[in-house]
Amino acid sequence: MKKARIHRKIIYHVIVTIFGLIMIYPLIWMIMSSFKDTNTIFTTAGQLIPEEFTVDNYINGWKGFAGVSFGTFFKNSLFISVVATVGTVFSSSIVAYGLARCKFKGKRILVVAMLLSMMLPAQVLMIPQYLWYQKLGWVNSYMPLIVPYCFAIQGFFTYLMMNFIQGIPRELDEAAKIDGCSYYGIFGRIIFPLMLPVLITSGIFSFMWRWDDFLSALLYINDSAKYPVSLALKLFSDPGSSSDYGAMFAMATLSVLPIMLIFIFLQKYIVEGISTSGLKG
Amino acid sequence: MKKTKQMSIRKKLNTESAAGVICTMPFIIGFLLFMIVPMGISLYYSFCNYDILSTPQWCGLDNYIKMFTDDPKFWKAIAVTFYFALVSVPLRLIFALIVAMILVKSSKASAFYRAVYYLPSIIGGSVAVAILWKRMFAADGVVNKILSVFGFPADFAWLGNTKTAIWTLIILAVWQFGSSMLIFLSALKQIPAELYEAADVDGANKFNKFFKITLPLLTPTIFFNLVMQMINGFLAFTQCFIITQGKPMDSTLFYTVYTYFQSFKFYNTGYGAALAWVMLLLIGLITLVLFATKKFWVYDEGN
Amino acid sequence: MKRRVLAVILGMAMVCSMAACGGSSGDKKNSESTKEDSGKITFAWWGNQVRNERTSKILEMYSEENPGVTFDGQFSEWNDYWNKLATASAGHTMPDIVQMDLQYYDQYVKNGLLLDLTPYIEDGTLNLSDVDESILDSAKVDGKTYAVCNGVNAPALLYNKTALDKVGIQVKDGMTIDEFVELSKEVKEKTGLRTNIGYNHETLPEYWLRAKGQVFFEEGKLGAKSADDISTVFDLEEQAVKEGWHVDPSVFTEITVGSAEQDPMVYGSNEDSMSWCAFAYSNQLSSIQQAAPEGVEIGITTWPSDDLEKSNYLKPSQFFAVTTDCKNPEEAVKVLDYITNSVECNEVLLGERGVPISQKVSEAITPQLDETNQKIVGYINEVVTPTCSTINPAAPNGANEVYDLLKNLEEQVLYGQITAEDAAKQLFEEGNAFMEAGAQ
Repeated sequence: MKKARIHRKIIYHVIVTIFGLIMIYPLIWMIMSSFKDTNTIFTTAGQLIPEEFTVDNYINGWKGFAGVSFGTFFKNSLFISVVATVGTVFSSSIVAYGLARCKFKGKRILVVAMLLSMMLPAQVLMIPQYLWYQKLGWVNSYMPLIVPYCFAIQGFFTYLMMNFIQGIPRELDEAAKIDGCSYYGIFGRIIFPLMLPVLITSGIFSFMWRWDDFLSALLYINDSAKYPVSLALKLFSDPGSSSDYGAMFAMATLSVLPIMLIFIFLQKYIVEGISTSGLKG
Repeated sequence: MKKTKQMSIRKKLNTESAAGVICTMPFIIGFLLFMIVPMGISLYYSFCNYDILSTPQWCGLDNYIKMFTDDPKFWKAIAVTFYFALVSVPLRLIFALIVAMILVKSSKASAFYRAVYYLPSIIGGSVAVAILWKRMFAADGVVNKILSVFGFPADFAWLGNTKTAIWTLIILAVWQFGSSMLIFLSALKQIPAELYEAADVDGANKFNKFFKITLPLLTPTIFFNLVMQMINGFLAFTQCFIITQGKPMDSTLFYTVYTYFQSFKFYNTGYGAALAWVMLLLIGLITLVLFATKKFWVYDEGN
Repeated sequence: MKRRVLAVILGMAMVCSMAACGGSSGDKKNSESTKEDSGKITFAWWGNQVRNERTSKILEMYSEENPGVTFDGQFSEWNDYWNKLATASAGHTMPDIVQMDLQYYDQYVKNGLLLDLTPYIEDGTLNLSDVDESILDSAKVDGKTYAVCNGVNAPALLYNKTALDKVGIQVKDGMTIDEFVELSKEVKEKTGLRTNIGYNHETLPEYWLRAKGQVFFEEGKLGAKSADDISTVFDLEEQAVKEGWHVDPSVFTEITVGSAEQDPMVYGSNEDSMSWCAFAYSNQLSSIQQAAPEGVEIGITTWPSDDLEKSNYLKPSQFFAVTTDCKNPEEAVKVLDYITNSVECNEVLLGERGVPISQKVSEAITPQLDETNQKIVGYINEVVTPTCSTINPAAPNGANEVYDLLKNLEEQVLYGQITAEDAAKQLFEEGNAFMEAGAQ
């Protein structure tokens, strides 16, 4: 009996590991390529391990462009992503609470508006948005990259949190109400703390999406010293002439790191985070 | 006197509907300020002959008429997009759910595995993925090499064939199932452990537990993922844009990529806006249908 | 109640969007106040790391020589560049100086987005006396100049010299189309390498039309007299596929078309997926040579044509233009003059955008170029310049859709989905329709 269990365990790990390797093969490929001589990346694309390890790509890439190093780009990205993420998570959570727990007139319209705003591709909104933000005087600043997100503009997060709140037993609200808690108090003292797992999930997503977003930075940031990493990465390639893929892969590898670290540190809160199970019943 | 007035304001603010409006205020402001205007402008453009560089000229329904009567590529893009979304979304969700079930246990090893399985989603639409994907599915790529080990013919050009090219994009979409997996994971953790304990007492097997407890309690999350991924699937852009650009022979031309080409490659921006609004209607319709089916299969806490 | 809220929201949307649309003409005032420091010139271009470094460097040099003038250098990737520029043009916030491509030039001029430089050329602020007339003509629209070319290019057939030398094949300049076909077959036989006929090289039909004395685009229609006149490219591709000396079309789905590193000439798993030649432009020799495996020398010759002089042309690789959003045109034009005529400046740029247009500058910097770039200069001066004619006018509105259609049809011919004859017919009919729609 015990032996069978160990066997099962081994099989489990072997399968999960093999599958995991397939999953991250592309990432390993990118990392390995970043250590290859940039001229040999394509000619040796079939083999994973570089014949000769070189860190030239990292040195070359880190230099950045026209005197602005990648350090600056990372700092910019970090600032934008962190502020926008904090804004998104807080604003979305309170909006989600309002939609999930309170009945009021116009609620359905808000939900519809929220869903509709997700259904237009970003590329189509590009020009109208630019004209509007220009009216607000926001061109060449981080405002368009940050402020809208502090107003729960991404329905995805609101909807995700709404769903989560609906899973929290209403008895908790009722009990707090009897204890004299206001609607706002219920949110602050009961719901919000319980939302930790979903807040962290949203945080990871939001951080990742802001980090990868280059379209709005492209349109609104004119000063190359203000570029985020996502935009700077694209500057290594030029379809008309030669591209420095080595440096691009090197910097792309570095750019994955922050998201990876955040995920590794926070993921345990998603799975091991506060469970509502003990509270029910 | 003053105190009572203050009290009554407080009381008014603490009614359910007042709290609802106040809590949702950020979104109301944000929507009015940042969404409705750009959306309004793009709707206006869709009725215009507009090439970005000059001022838009009202042309009524011309763009919409052209789309339905005189643009074979529009129909082609619709067909490709439907195929992609309807195949890749369910596959992605099933895959995400299975992996989430396997990795939900809290142990050191599964924490590591979770990171590994989430990684593909992180590198998303980067140039490295684009290059690698083309390498892998090339006639002499890894995929064919693996197939040849099992005795299949080994020089098939997956990307060069109009029937199989779309599948390389579908596989890419399925491969990046991380975000759905994460949402499933947190939902799985929300299921009260006592339910399983009670089922154990009743002598239920794993199979029973999954279909009687896990699946019903997960339906709200499945529904959420389904709606979101459907919207995402129909608006998919990156996979096609970075890898195939619609080739070969428009067999992988995503609707959004076509919209983008019209808007920014051919400068038919008015027409591009019209295309986008038709897609919005389509997605809206599909979402509506999904919501209509909700009451038949989604478990509702309230009742 | 529900309805009323909806009505209010919709109403607000309409009012706001109207305000935003109607107001765009009044925007100029707005941006004027935000851009008050007129000493600052925004300068935008696309390109790779080398170009970014060198261009930033010359802007710094200029600032040092001209105190009070500072620059904001904006660089982007090619596709991003055009998105950003188009969007900025809608908001009337274009950079002061922009890099322009022949493909978009006409549209930007016709919409009044580029400044007429003619007065500055006449009063000598912009000195173009040292520049070949045919190069200047390429930037003229209705007799007026809106941009300065910043480098000269020419169509060039690049080929794998090392592989051909090995089997004793010599390539001569000025091949006819028939000679090219014979050569391709011979190469296939002796080396196994196949041929890539200009797939994705949209100007090939134009090149061959020129030999017949026709242009590709006229205002509102195609210049070709009949479908027969534009079928050459399809005919060749059909023949090549049938006879087995064309690169398999699926190869183009496995690479990033246009990227030097992945061109079938330098990249591929075996002879069947590789080409012995590439239809390109002269400046691409340096990036292809760089991407080629060690020990492979790339040769350069003319595109095949039955009448080389009529077909061949010198091409502006890119332009610099001053936009109409520029607040201090005089100052911006001076920068263009500096780039065109300063030897010092070009010693930094080193012909990275193409051979400098000023004869004096080009002669001065040639000795400082590396071997590959010297080869390019030699090709331009000795091979192309003696046997060429003036380039066609910039492509008008609708051209991008015709090019797209052309690529699509070529793909179908290569896949054997349609005959060359049908492809030519379709290009002629649908192309004319696109041009007509574009002219409206």
